Amino acid sequence: MNQSKIRNFFRRRRNPNKIRESKLDTALMILNIVLLIVGAILVLFPLLNYFSLAFNDGNFNMDVVIFPVRWSFWSFQYIFSGEGALAFWRSFGNSLFITLVVTIFSNLFEAMAAYPLSKKDFPFRGNILMYFIITMLFSAGIMPIYLLMHQFKLLNNIWSVILISISNVTHLLYFKTFFEGIPTDIEEAAKLDGAGELQLFFRIVIPMSLPIIGSCCFFTIVGTWNGYGSALLFIPESQTGEANMPLAYYIYYFIGKTEIGDKNNAILAANRKNIEAAMMLLSTIPILCMYPYVVRYIKGGLQLGSVKG
Amino acid sequence: MEEKKTLNSELPAQAAGEFVPSQSAAAKVPAREDTKNQKNGYWKNQWKGIKKYRKLILFLVPAAAFSLIFSYIPMLGILFAFKGPEFNLAAGDVLFNLTHGSWTFQNFANIFVDPKIGLAIGNTLLINIIRLLLCFPLSIIIAVMLSELKSQTLSKTILIILTIPNFLSWVIVIGIWSGFLDPDTGFLGQALADMGAVNIMADNGWFKPLVVFLSAWKGAGWGCILFYSAIVSIDKTYYESATLEGANRLQKTWYLTIPSILPTIALMLVLNISGMMAVGFEQVYTMMKQNTSLIDSQITLDTYLYEISIVKPSDIPFATSLGVLNGLIALVLMLVGNKITSKTLKRGLW
Repeated sequence: MNQSKIRNFFRRRRNPNKIRESKLDTALMILNIVLLIVGAILVLFPLLNYFSLAFNDGNFNMDVVIFPVRWSFWSFQYIFSGEGALAFWRSFGNSLFITLVVTIFSNLFEAMAAYPLSKKDFPFRGNILMYFIITMLFSAGIMPIYLLMHQFKLLNNIWSVILISISNVTHLLYFKTFFEGIPTDIEEAAKLDGAGELQLFFRIVIPMSLPIIGSCCFFTIVGTWNGYGSALLFIPESQTGEANMPLAYYIYYFIGKTEIGDKNNAILAANRKNIEAAMMLLSTIPILCMYPYVVRYIKGGLQLGSVKG
Repeated sequence: MEEKKTLNSELPAQAAGEFVPSQSAAAKVPAREDTKNQKNGYWKNQWKGIKKYRKLILFLVPAAAFSLIFSYIPMLGILFAFKGPEFNLAAGDVLFNLTHGSWTFQNFANIFVDPKIGLAIGNTLLINIIRLLLCFPLSIIIAVMLSELKSQTLSKTILIILTIPNFLSWVIVIGIWSGFLDPDTGFLGQALADMGAVNIMADNGWFKPLVVFLSAWKGAGWGCILFYSAIVSIDKTYYESATLEGANRLQKTWYLTIPSILPTIALMLVLNISGMMAVGFEQVYTMMKQNTSLIDSQITLDTYLYEISIVKPSDIPFATSLGVLNGLIALVLMLVGNKITSKTLKRGLW
C-alpha cells in the first residue's frame, strides 16, 4: 500500500498508459533524490554554519549549527566603524575599481578585435587569429611577467593587476563565433544608409550581441572579483602592500595576520573568527547581486546568450 | 603562468554554457584555396581586403597591443633562463641585466638535480590524477542524476544550489571549510575532535584528499552544467522507445545517456588532461598557508615556482627556466590534446 503510494507520487505526471516502472526503478529514483538532497545539504550546511558566525557572539561560537545562537553585530561594527574599517573598505574599493575597469576594457577590446576577425574575407585572418591563440597556449611563466612589471615600476600597484587581466582570448573567440552568426544583410543595409564602421559596430553589432556580451561580462566580473592569483604576484603580502590589495587578497592577508589591532582588546581576540566570517560575507555581496543572472541562465534552458553548438 | 592558468582552468567552466563550435578549420585555411592557381593571387586578395577593411584594422589594435605587451614581451623573458647566476635586480634594471653578464645552459640542467622538483612534480601529478578520477566523473554523475528527476523545478533548484560555491573566492571556500572543520568552534570539527580525529585542515596526510574534496565542492556543480545541458538536449523519443523495449533506468542511462554525451565527455577529458601541469595555485597556496609545516612537504609545481620567483627570489634565471619548462610541457599537452580532439571529434580545443 505504502509502496504503491510512493510509486504513484513519482508517476503522477506521466501518461497512465505507459509501462509500469519496476520496483528497482522506484528504489533508484528515491535513492537519486536522497543523494541529490544530501549533496545540496553538503553545499548549504557549511555555508550556513560558517556565515552564522558573522552574526554571532564570539564566545558562543561552538554552539552554532546553522543559525547564530547569541546574536551580536560586533563584527560588523568593527568592520564598518572600528579600526578595521579603513583597510577593509579600501580593499573593497580597490576590488570594485579593478573589476569595473577590467570588465569594461577587456570585453570592449576583445569584442572590437573579434569584429574584424568575424569577417570571412578579412586579410590575414588566420594569421591574426593564430597570433591571439598562441598567447592562450604558451606562457613563459611568472618570472618574466614579474620582471616586466618591475621594469614598468608597476609592482605594488593595482594597475598591474588590471593590465594583466585585460587580454582574454577565450572571450575573443566567443565574440567572434557570435558575430559570425549575425546576418550580413543588416550590416549591408546600414552601410547603404551611410553608417561608418564605428557606427556600425557600436549601433548595430553591439546591441545585437547583448546576450553574449552579458555572459562574458558576467564571467569577467566573477573571475576578477574572486581572483587574487595575479595580486599575489605583484602586491607584497605585507604592511606595504595593504593599501593596494583587492578584497579577496586582503581577506587572505587578514586571516594570515597573527596580530590585529590592540593586543589587549579581549572582545577583538574573542571575535577574531567572527570578523573574518563577516568580511567574507560582505565580500560575497556583489556576487550575490549577480546571482539572479545565474538563476535565470539555469532556468532559461542553459544557453548563455544565443550561442548554440 | 598565473594568467594562463586561470584561462585554462576557466575554459571548461565557460565552455559549459557556451558551446563554441571550432573555428580552427576556418582559422587555418583562409581564402588561400580559391587563389591557389594564380601566382600572387593570395597577396593580391589580401591587399584587396586591406583596402576594403582599412578602418576595421584599427579595431584590432588595442587587443593586439595588450597581447603584445603582456604576453609576447614576457615570452622574450625566456632569455633570462639562459643568463648566468650573477643576474641581480639590485645591480641594475632588467635590461641592464639582460645585456650584461654571461650566458649559460646550466639553469636547465639544474632543474633535474633540484632536490624539490621531483616532489613538486609528483604532488602536482598525483593531485591531478586523483582529481581526474574522482571529480571529473562526479560532475557527470550529478548531471545524470539531475536529469533523471521528473520535476524540472526540483532539478533546477538543486542545480542552482550546487553552483553556489563556484561563485565564491578560494579564500572564502577555504575559510568556510576551515571554520567548519575547526576542532574548537566548527560543527564538523567538534564532532571529529570528540571522536579523537586529527584536525584535518592542518594535517599533512589529509592535505591531498582535502585539495581534491574542496575542488569537487567548489567546481562539481558548475562543471555538471555542461553535461546536464547535453543530456537535456537528447531527443526524448529515444527514451520512450527504450522504455517500450523494456529497458530500466540503469540500462537507459548506461546505453543511451552516456553514449549520447560521449563527445562532450571526451572533449572535457582531453581539456582536463591538457591542464595536468597546474593544480590551481590560489587554492593550494591558500591551503598551505594554514599550516607552515605543509609548505615543505606539499609543494606543487605552481607553489614551488611562486616560492622561488616571488617569495624568495634568490636565483631569477633558474626560476625562469623552470617556468619556461613548465610552459613548454603545458604547450605540448595542449597541442596533443587539440590533435586528438580534432581527429576524433572533428573539433579543436579552441
